[in-house]
Amino acid sequence: MGHSFLLELGLEEMPADVISPALAELGRNLKESLAREGVSPSSVRSYGTPRRLALLADGLPGRQQGREELVLGPPVRVALGPDGKPGRAAFGFARSQGLNVELLERIETPKGEYLGYRKKIPGRSVPEILQEEIPRLVAGLSWPRGMYWRESRFRFIRPLRWCVSLWDSQVVSFRFEGIDSGRVTRGHRFLGKEEIRLAHAAEYPDRMRRNYVLVGTDERRRKIAGELSRNVPHGLTPVEDEHLLETVVQLNEYPTVLCGGFDEGFLDIPRQVLVTVMRHHQKYFSVIDAEGRLRPHFLTVVNTDGDSDGRILQGHERVLRARLEDAAFFWRTDLKTSMEERCEKLAGIVFHQLLGTYLDKVKRVRALCARLRPDPHLERAALFSKADLTSEMVRELPELQGVMGGLYARREGYPATVWQAVLEHYKPVALGDAPPSTLAGALLALADKLDTVTACLAGGIVPTGSSDPFALRRQALGIVKILLEFRLDYPLEDLVRMARQSLSEDAAAPDSQDRILAFLERRVRHVFLNRGVSDDVIRAVQAVDSRQSLHLRFRKAVALEEMRNEADFEVLATACKRIKNILSGQAIELDRVRTSDLKEPAERKLNRAVQETRPQVAARLEKGEFLEALKRMARLRGPVDRFFDDVLVMSHEENLRRNRLRILHEISQLFLSYADISMVART
Amino acid sequence: MNQSDCAASRDGAEAPQTFQDIVHRLLEFWMDSGCVAQQPYDTEVGAGTMHPETFLRVLGPEPYSVVYVQPSRRPADGRYGQNPNRLYRHHQLQVILKPSPEDIQDLYLKSLASIGVELESHDIRFEEDNWESPTLGAWGVGWQVLLDGLEITQFTYFQQAGGIELMPVSVELTYGLERIAAFISGEDSVYRLRWNREKTYGQIRWLEEAEFSRYSFEVADTDLLFNLFRLYEEECRRCHEARCVLPAYDYCLKCSHTFNLLDSRGAISVTERVALIARVRALAVATARLYLEDHGSQLSA
Repeated sequence: MGHSFLLELGLEEMPADVISPALAELGRNLKESLAREGVSPSSVRSYGTPRRLALLADGLPGRQQGREELVLGPPVRVALGPDGKPGRAAFGFARSQGLNVELLERIETPKGEYLGYRKKIPGRSVPEILQEEIPRLVAGLSWPRGMYWRESRFRFIRPLRWCVSLWDSQVVSFRFEGIDSGRVTRGHRFLGKEEIRLAHAAEYPDRMRRNYVLVGTDERRRKIAGELSRNVPHGLTPVEDEHLLETVVQLNEYPTVLCGGFDEGFLDIPRQVLVTVMRHHQKYFSVIDAEGRLRPHFLTVVNTDGDSDGRILQGHERVLRARLEDAAFFWRTDLKTSMEERCEKLAGIVFHQLLGTYLDKVKRVRALCARLRPDPHLERAALFSKADLTSEMVRELPELQGVMGGLYARREGYPATVWQAVLEHYKPVALGDAPPSTLAGALLALADKLDTVTACLAGGIVPTGSSDPFALRRQALGIVKILLEFRLDYPLEDLVRMARQSLSEDAAAPDSQDRILAFLERRVRHVFLNRGVSDDVIRAVQAVDSRQSLHLRFRKAVALEEMRNEADFEVLATACKRIKNILSGQAIELDRVRTSDLKEPAERKLNRAVQETRPQVAARLEKGEFLEALKRMARLRGPVDRFFDDVLVMSHEENLRRNRLRILHEISQLFLSYADISMVART
Repeated sequence: MNQSDCAASRDGAEAPQTFQDIVHRLLEFWMDSGCVAQQPYDTEVGAGTMHPETFLRVLGPEPYSVVYVQPSRRPADGRYGQNPNRLYRHHQLQVILKPSPEDIQDLYLKSLASIGVELESHDIRFEEDNWESPTLGAWGVGWQVLLDGLEITQFTYFQQAGGIELMPVSVELTYGLERIAAFISGEDSVYRLRWNREKTYGQIRWLEEAEFSRYSFEVADTDLLFNLFRLYEEECRRCHEARCVLPAYDYCLKCSHTFNLLDSRGAISVTERVALIARVRALAVATARLYLEDHGSQLSA
């Protein structure tokens, strides 16, 4: 069975996003520091709410295991007389250890025999260890953002107000940042008891539940998820939203879901606006019908046990109404200004001191689009892409940048290609976000990001560590994803060159091409790695042809990754490396292999195999059948092995030597038409 | 119900009926908790934080607790008296407690109870909202307090002001008085709130909203304002040189308000905006530093 230990830190309300990471860290650190003392609980459960971080460890031993420590005294030859009786040194040592000399024993060591004894060290009591460790663990928690509230300048996420520390039914007492640990916790701010004296660590979750605090994250999530589906009006469903769900789970100690409504008239406002207002500002779930249409209801999670007289809901509805009225006002006001007029206003908004106004930017993006694909719709979309920065709605809800521009362009009757491209051009927004869905959207997104990355890097605005104000890394990642997803053929170096050409002369440093390309290549590597391609393969395919399109390079890499562990191929890769070593430093005359100079059967056979394989590989590469191309190459393994076994490359006869080097050179060229295969050889 | 009844019961008091009752009761609550009752500052400010009773008093070691109402001008929020929730000038009730007491959240909740909010039958929460004022070089950590989804208070542990790290830490409570009054009365429009038993908020303040909105969006002379900004800035610096700290701070505030007017007039581009904010901040930072240098020791004397 063992003992239980409860630690509960009581805080003023923590931000929702820090609770789970803090609990994980606290639990991990407790287990580690107990493990260092040779103590392992059978389980450590973690509980957390906005006001508390708690751990409940079970199955703990009362004491550490005792252990023995060898204490060595003087060597036997010094300590014992010839008669084997203890001498002065032996008595001295015994005295220094507080022992009777009879208790000493002879201990064999690699350095000879010593007098010594096995000291029994009793295990410490675990509560005593906890008493020492807990304050260190708490102080060691790391926070993404912290604060001071005491003159001790102790930094924590929010002020710490109480601490429960119970070993079964005993307090493990310590004092920490002005707080004495004890057994008293607090219930829900308004529904529970202000003081709860815990009798035993194990009763924690139940006692808290009776005081309207559901300390288990999962329990709160289940309650919310259940009520979301039960409390929605018949025939309708809440819009699924994992992130919002996690947030509200961590915002409430006793969550209850209420369903409210708003005036149908507000449904004239675009859905994206309604959802953003509800989600971002009020943390409400939206509600849809069976056809996926938004309905005039919302679900809110409140931190109490119900709303018997409907007053809470009334309050929420009133707040939402005010917000929606604002949004409706912005929508109507914004529609009075055309997209063309908005574009002109962009001349007054600075993108960056070095890089001009947003009008300059959209003109650059338009020029880039025109070179990517001549299409008047795409060019118009480019020109409109930043127009919504002048709108009231975006000023109020910046997360709707792009989306609003698209919606306003649609209202003005521009074709779908135009407004969809504008609407999607910020995508992919976050790390897991999908790229745009239309080709025009993808090209506009590509051009916009390319312009930002190129203009900033060329102008010396380079992200460092955590500082990346223009989110250049994320945008570069977006470029890579779009190129891959839409299988666009533009070589990276051409894209960067085009983007640099549209910059003004003083904005584009002459040496920036390589720096920008290297920046993008780092993102390429990142994406490839994430998709399971290993580092050496990435370098191998990148080494051969900087002008190949990214999507082909990716498919080549995937095929190479698949092939690299085939036995034939592995040997071949090693041979490639050998060939590379032989060839390095040799001046190869770019001459054809002279069949007349082929002496040995093995070299004749290899030459034939190479001549046959070359067009086959070329044809496969042409068709994009990369795995097939590699398999053809792998068939060279036999002839290559034979060649190296039977033939001496560095013959004394110069014509033979040259000819053999030429064969090797041709093999190497054949492989290089795919990748620098030597780079994936086992070392 | 009359006012003496209100004052008689504090915890779980009956809701006050008028705007001025609410203000009165909150002032009384914090006076009873030991705060100095101060008056609004007499130059234009955008928030109660800019009152020297906050911005300067939070500097240095001297304990200080104060409560006051601060009419706060936000020219860009003006809506010609047409929007039921947005105002050119709203009222903040500002509380500073230095150092921050341990039971500050409970104390705050009691203040809500004192104006008749039944805590257990509402959804009251403290949601992360960290406050920053680039113009004052000030920031803090805390929450927006939501009452049934409505933000009624900004609750901040001040960490820095005028670019100076604060120790001891002050706690700042900023009550949005119009919102609280709207909540208590159930009125959807601020203009229909009862100011006292005879007059509505609209009767007393509507004209001001309409005219100042028109002034800040249409009439204000931007050339003049740019000039004033420069002149106020010069005067502030001159005061710094003369080590005349409090008057210097007044001119820093005037710069800030002039900037807000220019902003609402749409006269400031994004880059200019950054540059102007930096100029006001430089004044605020210099003022804070001089204040500590010249008056820091006298304060604790």
